[in-house]
Amino acid sequence: MALLKLDNVTKRFGGLVAVNQVSLEIDEGEFVGIVGPNGSGKTTLFNVISGVFFPEEGTVRFDGMDITRLAPFKRAPLGIGRTFQIPRPFGSATVRENIAVGAMFGTQGHALNVDRSLDVADQIIERVNLRAHRDKPAGGLTPVEKKLMEIARALAMKPKLLLMDEAMAGMHPNDIDQMVAFIKRVADEENIAIVAMVEHIMRAVVGLAEKVIVLHQGAKIVDAPTKEALEDPKVIEVYLGHPPEE
Amino acid sequence: MFFEQLGGNLIQGVVLGAVYGMATMGLSLIFGVLKVVNVGHGAFIMVGAFVTLFLFSSLGISPLFAVPVAFGVGMGLGLIFYYTTIRKLIKAPELATLLATFSIGVLLEELIKLIFGSEFRGYNWVVGKIDLGITVLPLSKLYAGIGSILIAVLLFLWFKKTRAGSAIRSVVEDSEGAQVCGINVGGAYALSFALGIGLTVASGVLLTMFIPVGINPYMGGGYTLKAFVIAVLGGLASPYGAFFGGLVFGLIENGSYTLFAYIPGVEPFALTRFLSFVILLVILLIRPTGILSAK
Amino acid sequence: MKQIPKYLPLVPVFAAYGVLFLMGENMEGMWQLMSMLLFYCALGQAFNVFLGMTGYVDFGYVAFMGVGTYGMALSITRLVQYEFLGVWIIVIGFALAMVMSTLLSMAVGAVALRLRGAYFAIATIGVNEGFRFLIEGARIWNGSEGMIFTADLNKILGRDTAAALSTYWADVMVLVIAALAAFVTLVYMRSKIGYALTALREDEDAAKVMGINVTKFKIIAFITSACFAGLLGATAWALKTPYVFPPEVFEIHYTIEAIIIVMLGGAGTLLGPLVGGLVYGIAQYYLSIFLPGFQLLIFAPIILVIIVVFPEGIVGMLKTRTRGSGLGRFIM
Repeated sequence: MALLKLDNVTKRFGGLVAVNQVSLEIDEGEFVGIVGPNGSGKTTLFNVISGVFFPEEGTVRFDGMDITRLAPFKRAPLGIGRTFQIPRPFGSATVRENIAVGAMFGTQGHALNVDRSLDVADQIIERVNLRAHRDKPAGGLTPVEKKLMEIARALAMKPKLLLMDEAMAGMHPNDIDQMVAFIKRVADEENIAIVAMVEHIMRAVVGLAEKVIVLHQGAKIVDAPTKEALEDPKVIEVYLGHPPEE
Repeated sequence: MFFEQLGGNLIQGVVLGAVYGMATMGLSLIFGVLKVVNVGHGAFIMVGAFVTLFLFSSLGISPLFAVPVAFGVGMGLGLIFYYTTIRKLIKAPELATLLATFSIGVLLEELIKLIFGSEFRGYNWVVGKIDLGITVLPLSKLYAGIGSILIAVLLFLWFKKTRAGSAIRSVVEDSEGAQVCGINVGGAYALSFALGIGLTVASGVLLTMFIPVGINPYMGGGYTLKAFVIAVLGGLASPYGAFFGGLVFGLIENGSYTLFAYIPGVEPFALTRFLSFVILLVILLIRPTGILSAK
Repeated sequence: MKQIPKYLPLVPVFAAYGVLFLMGENMEGMWQLMSMLLFYCALGQAFNVFLGMTGYVDFGYVAFMGVGTYGMALSITRLVQYEFLGVWIIVIGFALAMVMSTLLSMAVGAVALRLRGAYFAIATIGVNEGFRFLIEGARIWNGSEGMIFTADLNKILGRDTAAALSTYWADVMVLVIAALAAFVTLVYMRSKIGYALTALREDEDAAKVMGINVTKFKIIAFITSACFAGLLGATAWALKTPYVFPPEVFEIHYTIEAIIIVMLGGAGTLLGPLVGGLVYGIAQYYLSIFLPGFQLLIFAPIILVIIVVFPEGIVGMLKTRTRGSGLGRFIM
């Protein structure tokens, strides 16, 4: 059974159709890349899945449950975690406290008190190499460190599904390889399905993906295993003048 | 008898409502352009009232001429406060601008108290009245109502016909896009803030026609509340919505006063003010974007 | 072992309240100044639980102190014929003050806390005025005449006890409320509530996506803060000066003072309201001698400068400076 299942989801803003009749399935532990140029509706799609917006049409099912109109804060405990395109740390709180918030209100939240959540945060901080910044306010981190912290915060939720919005944008290519490898390893260990959204076809991300979904002007145009998807003429058309990154 | 009284009060309500509307346009303009809620709004109305009082009592200048003077004073105050505080807080958390405008209001009240003292004052501008059969309307109030409509129309034309006006409109639509198109967004903010404050201080002149002896440094608080009721009635971000919100509010206020006066054992004036608070909460609960707004 | 350092930041807070109390007790003519300082500290501690921890501002905050005052006044005036109650009439008064401020905060919160930022502030702006005009307009609880209950207190407690109550015990209660509010603030900070509030204060949408029920936590902070305000009104106003008039207890002036104290000391810090309360109180005391009636003229521009130049306030700055040092463990 699919972990996440969207059926004909449509989201409009006034007259603009941001997401148009999108259906898709993500399986448990799967690594999926969602590719689409700026304005193709990727972020809106993420917002529909995480509950920031409710769709006008269609249904969103997670783990067999209809969550189409479920309040966003009820989705995290079910196992939906996300990172943002522009990182959104809780600026005045320390890195450790930020990550602990993830643990506290995530899938294991009910079983974790504050001290245990801080322990979870410490473990993750070790794994993502943020030790030097542990007790600094997150607002003072560099953009790349903020991204890293956000990923750590999302992992602390122990999600079943992790939505990553342009997680690698602005990072050095070497760092990207390392980061993606790390995320992939954690995801495999903990059976987390990853949906990574990228504007360009980044080899580092798409290369590891088992499946690629391509969005164009709010509609899904391709949904296929990675190799097939990348050879699809429709993808090449969308990215004409946007050659795949090396 | 009752209907005559109600009708008379409603006529008064329309006239007062036009002034209320004009007194709220500045608040909506500032929120619409800068996304800043001017919690010190009423204090600027109070400043306008004192400008009128000073010009009339000390220099013998007619309140009608006080309108442009008050507008100028308001533009000046607006520019001062914009460049010293508001500009630095545009990107700060909302809490900062709320507390800042609130503090500006307190500062103005205390300054005026220092200069003029805290007792209630008034002035007597006798220009005659007209008898409408069911009610007698002092001409001063009628002038205030007509003046308000005139100012609203002028503002509308200014937005439509001038470059600065259309620059501000495009900033409201999309401030980043406007910036890309070479519009000086900072300048549009400063101008809108100054204009908003100018309109508000000028409205203070017109409002004095309705409060014979109600001029006092702390008179603004009640107007802040009324302005917010009116602004949310008309959609917080739209100056024209605010104007129509003012008309509706003037009718509600005078109409409900007439009704409350028939209930034994209550104080109708206080209940009218309680009602405005209830209206505010109800609108915010069901439709925070405004009852009268199209969107 | 782990439990002790957790509450270290309370040490300077309680020490300061202890010193204030002892100074008032032992130094000739100081009690009145100390009781004023304690009132401002308590007001700050109570207001900070909401403004400081959530980043939302309630311009109608004084309404909760107002209804608290009415709670105590109602208990005394309506129960005065049951003489066997004795001092329990005061206990019932505090309970009623808490219940009434809680109910009002639930009613206001149910509407206002659904709204974001500016709209919330707009909704609260008329709460104190609205409630005042409801009491006056509908002639509830004697309407605009208010209630005077000095005689009732004398009757049920005896003249001496009643006098001691208003000149001494009422102030002691203010001290207890200030300390209690500080304690609750720290308990919140150390619990999930504090983490949730910090998250929603910094980024409400991100907090929601992280699984935080923001409305619930805002309401917790709102009701807690309102409750302390109710208790403060019941003691600092109803017991200290045994009368209640609607225009006085719903006067926005006290909201202004609460904002000044919290912003001056440092919003969202534990020590801030105490420092802000002391600075404001002392300044207020001397200004009332040299510049009577114009204290706010001095403080309004000071607050503007604080908001623009150092929004973290005195304690916020200290906290940044002492981070990681031994002293830093005491500053929160």
